[in-house]
Amino acid sequence: MATFVLAFIVGMTYGGIVRKITARVHNRMGPPFYQNFIDAFKLYSKTSAIHHGAMHFLGPAFLMVSSIVSLMIVPVLIPGGDSWYNSWFTNMNASGDLIFLIYIMVFGSLGLALGAGQTGNPNSSIGVTRGLSQMVGFEIPWVMALVALMISYKTTSIVDFINIQQETGTWLMFSHPLAFITAILAMLGMFRYSPFDIVGAPTELASGPVSENGGKFLFTMMSSGSVFAFVKLTLFVDLFMGGAENLVILVVKTFALYMIPVLYGIVSPRYRTEQAVRFFWGWPTFIGLLAILYAVIF
Amino acid sequence: MDMLTLILVIFLGGAIVTWLGNKLNSVLGDLLFLAAVIVPSGLFISGITVGSVTTLNALGLTLTWGLSPLSYLFSLVVVGLAILLAIYSVPFMNGKDKKGAFYFNFTLSIMSMLGILVSKDWISFFIFWEIMTWSSYLMVILNGKEVQKVGIKYFVFSAIGAYAMLMAMVIMNSQLGSFMLADTFNNFQQMSGTYQILIPLLLLVAFGVKSALMPLHVWAPGAYSNAPMAYTSVFSGALSKMGIYGMILVMVTMINQLPEGTLIRDIIAWLGGFTAAAATLWAITQDDGKKLLAWSSVGQMGYIIVGVAIGTPLAMLAALFLVVVHAMFKGSLFMVVGAIEKQTGTTDFREINGLIRKMPWTFISALLSIIALAGIPPLAGFVSKWMLYEALIQNNNYILVILLFFASTAGFLYCYKFLHGYFLGQEEPEWDHVKEAPVGMVIPMLLLALGTFVLGTFPQLLFNPIDNALQYVGYDATGGLLWTDSVLFSQWGNVVTLQPILYAIISVFVFFAIFLFVKGKKGKTRYVSTKDISTSGEIPKEWENLTFKVNFFQPFERAIEPFLKRQIDKYYNAFGNGLEALFEFTRRVYTGNGQTYAIYAILFLALLLLFRVNLFG
Repeated sequence: MATFVLAFIVGMTYGGIVRKITARVHNRMGPPFYQNFIDAFKLYSKTSAIHHGAMHFLGPAFLMVSSIVSLMIVPVLIPGGDSWYNSWFTNMNASGDLIFLIYIMVFGSLGLALGAGQTGNPNSSIGVTRGLSQMVGFEIPWVMALVALMISYKTTSIVDFINIQQETGTWLMFSHPLAFITAILAMLGMFRYSPFDIVGAPTELASGPVSENGGKFLFTMMSSGSVFAFVKLTLFVDLFMGGAENLVILVVKTFALYMIPVLYGIVSPRYRTEQAVRFFWGWPTFIGLLAILYAVIF
Repeated sequence: MDMLTLILVIFLGGAIVTWLGNKLNSVLGDLLFLAAVIVPSGLFISGITVGSVTTLNALGLTLTWGLSPLSYLFSLVVVGLAILLAIYSVPFMNGKDKKGAFYFNFTLSIMSMLGILVSKDWISFFIFWEIMTWSSYLMVILNGKEVQKVGIKYFVFSAIGAYAMLMAMVIMNSQLGSFMLADTFNNFQQMSGTYQILIPLLLLVAFGVKSALMPLHVWAPGAYSNAPMAYTSVFSGALSKMGIYGMILVMVTMINQLPEGTLIRDIIAWLGGFTAAAATLWAITQDDGKKLLAWSSVGQMGYIIVGVAIGTPLAMLAALFLVVVHAMFKGSLFMVVGAIEKQTGTTDFREINGLIRKMPWTFISALLSIIALAGIPPLAGFVSKWMLYEALIQNNNYILVILLFFASTAGFLYCYKFLHGYFLGQEEPEWDHVKEAPVGMVIPMLLLALGTFVLGTFPQLLFNPIDNALQYVGYDATGGLLWTDSVLFSQWGNVVTLQPILYAIISVFVFFAIFLFVKGKKGKTRYVSTKDISTSGEIPKEWENLTFKVNFFQPFERAIEPFLKRQIDKYYNAFGNGLEALFEFTRRVYTGNGQTYAIYAILFLALLLLFRVNLFG
């Protein structure tokens, strides 16, 4: 429970800070960093006037399930660390491993796709097809990076990766640089910032899930998005940057990592879907193959 | 006459009696059909014990039948699908023509599949294999479009496989002197070296054709989509698994004893992985639900073949689990398509829209089955996929695991296409008349879909029979090592505990569903149709159909275009056309002119006279 609150607050704050940074880079003022909370509260307090059927309700629920269950599987803080609040953040990370995590992350987008399809908005369907196609694109290098790590250390449990980094003292970022580069390139696709934001970009689709869902639905979608961003960042930190002993280090590391896709995305144009898919199957896959070779040989 | 023979006789007799009864009276035909399938299936479940053996002496041959633990596992699939699909077929075939032929071939297929599973000697195996082939062929050409081409393709490929098997059988008999399966497997080493490689390859061709392994898969999309949907569930759910059954037998007995065994296993594993990936990509491009599911079946068989070919205990567990689960969710999905076809008259995605509120139970079955197909927890598909990936990584098949991951991720695309194509999108007035499918069709669908749900959390229900089967073919016990109640292990000690995850998922889901629902009801959120949307600030008119269906995955298809251009079907067609040209040329011998024939006779006599010394000594 505490994990969820942490993820929610941190995720929303990051979203707000990113909006501020994006605005400043674009030479405008931008909203205050707590804007996301104001938006969430406003959306929560509004009532939706219409709905399009039962699936419309269940779509955002699926999305939230995916985010929260992923959150439960990823260890937020290093277990057994020496902070007084560490026990608040223990979750079910002993119940699932990396492969399970990959699959549960997809569950949400499927649910959202169903809810969006129920609304009958054709732009939602277009957005979904683009999103799914892109996902096939970035999953390949992402899985390659993970497989490279799994081969080297003969485990698929995230807690084991944290422990290995604690024992050897070096972060996996430095001992497996090729895997890290592949994972970063895949992460650009995962976060859906430019150049891979064709899925929900307002100039591409004039409407879609964001316009059809209001009130409680949009609140759920927004908070799920923030939680999910936090989950992905924490997963990266756990795998490549040695985990976090306490909350301050966690915030610092995840924020530093988050800046990579954000800063790259602010100044990038957008790829078409097939260009994005072909990009991911090009250099990132090649580097991923090198990472696997490196893991096999060394 | 003991139980096994009695069961097979009831099936055979029931088929004939049903066909005759259907000619008399339609309802009588229905009742006889249900009796012909359900009664012997019930007898099979209750009366046959694993390990019992019977013999039948006929025409100077001794046929031996018995149920082994491995056969028991596959027979669960066959009998379960038979009962549920018999119940489904009666309302499905209501009012259609050629009902008698359908019932006849259906019952014969079930009988032949059970016969294959209980055969302990090659002759009965071959007899039942052939009955299975031609009864399914008759189903494929029952009705539908372009039956000629599709049927011929299916029959030619099945014949190639069957004659390969026949050749292998005869060679084995001449070398080892026996037709019994156990004898040929145990005395395998006594054959000469070339035969030791040739026999398994021939058998693998036979079984590969049936399980649609690439490049022998080209008959599958046409055959699966042309057969009536009630039969395609059995076709793809149980019939293709007969190929897997044969492959397991060949792999664990013959190929394990070969020094080149690992090479053959690797080749088969790579073919299986390639099948999974390529079939998934082809499924994404299909616009007809039947063809999409057909290609998806070919892809899932690829997964199973990879598991069987890798051969470690975890991989075999994964493959056998997927065998049963695939029969469940694919059977349910084909039933969904059949229900939609019956209610709307078409199965093309580009024509049907928005059936979700009109056929809710069908949608729920489809949703659960699609989630199982995609391999998403907490349903059963995830269990098999998890075990398969773990097995591959621990067996150092890294590139193969990447290929399978790619196939799974691309699988999400056609899963969404299936759901969106039939159930989502805008609701059009032309489909306002559609009602839910009859109860007899809905209940089997739902049962299979819910079965995947149960197996996802309690996979040990299935692991016990699988464990017995694996121990029978020579593996060590896996219980307690690779799985206990609701917990999966891998060799490295990584764990997935399924029950807490399921409860977590359900509780979060219910919480948020209520959260969204409650406020809505209090604030009187009213239902509006899908026409009342705010697309670009305009509200679509009644006659505008704004559903996005055509070229659904065009960006993705553009991205994989170089792959889609290469089809092995073209090579087969070219080969077939070349043969036809050759036959055209050879046909010219028959000129129809009596004087030419006279010349032929005189030339032949002249040849005989010239070479009479060499020919007749």
